Amino acid sequence: MIAQWIYRALLRLYPRDYTAAFADEMLAAFEKGWEERQRQGRAALARFALTEVAGLVTGVGAEWIARLTTDSSVRGRGLPDLRKMRPAGVPSELWFGAAGSNSPQSSLPLEVAQAQERVAFLVGGMVHAIANHDFQAARSYSYEEYRARDTLCSLRKKYGLDQ
Amino acid sequence: MRHVALQPDATETKPLTEPVLLILLSLADRPRHGYALMKDIESLSHGRVRLSTGTLYGALRRLLEDTWIERFKQEDTSREKQAYRLTSAGRRQLQLELGRMKQLTQAASVRLRAKEV
Repeated sequence: MIAQWIYRALLRLYPRDYTAAFADEMLAAFEKGWEERQRQGRAALARFALTEVAGLVTGVGAEWIARLTTDSSVRGRGLPDLRKMRPAGVPSELWFGAAGSNSPQSSLPLEVAQAQERVAFLVGGMVHAIANHDFQAARSYSYEEYRARDTLCSLRKKYGLDQ
Repeated sequence: MRHVALQPDATETKPLTEPVLLILLSLADRPRHGYALMKDIESLSHGRVRLSTGTLYGALRRLLEDTWIERFKQEDTSREKQAYRLTSAGRRQLQLELGRMKQLTQAASVRLRAKEV
């Protein structure tokens, strides 16, 4: 479908972190909207297409301005993808080793993958707690993360993944 | 121990834009994904406001950044069907905005009535 192809091309104009976080969802929403307007006739479809293009053009401008003017720690609150977050100390080639698969950890033993997911989950929880000024929860997440990282280290040694 | 005085958040007193208000209202009763939000906003505004995907996701990104909403993991998780829900901070902002609007409409009603008398 040409409209879908054009929309996908326009999405590439957004900053990369934004595209990684929202492009799939935006495309899915656009496709649903397009299908619905197709049933309503040409005029509705043309209005929809124009609104979408205008929204994308202004959105791209606004996102680039935001990208250039917002501190990365603040921007990171809105755009982290925990499934892709690589815990500190885990080599990127190992974390992203399974290129082309849906899960970046799928080449790892299950135990290790689960331990990595737990570390990532706890880091996410800590960031969220700090952002909400809930420092007691943040301390508790930090303590749990410390322990989870220890477990991860021993599992990596067990499976000889540190070499 | 260092004591830090918290400054009141500047965004707390700033009126919300219409798309942001409608997004928060739409998420007030239950989590929704992008397209469901677009449809619900259209019905909430009686067809007056039709958000484009660019406008919607730009606003969602800012709301995530302000931690007024959060991503919500559903049972059938696919990246295209990511749902969002209000956080307690977002709910508080919505209540503040509705209070502000209520006060404004009350003041407006009093003025209009005074003019009629």
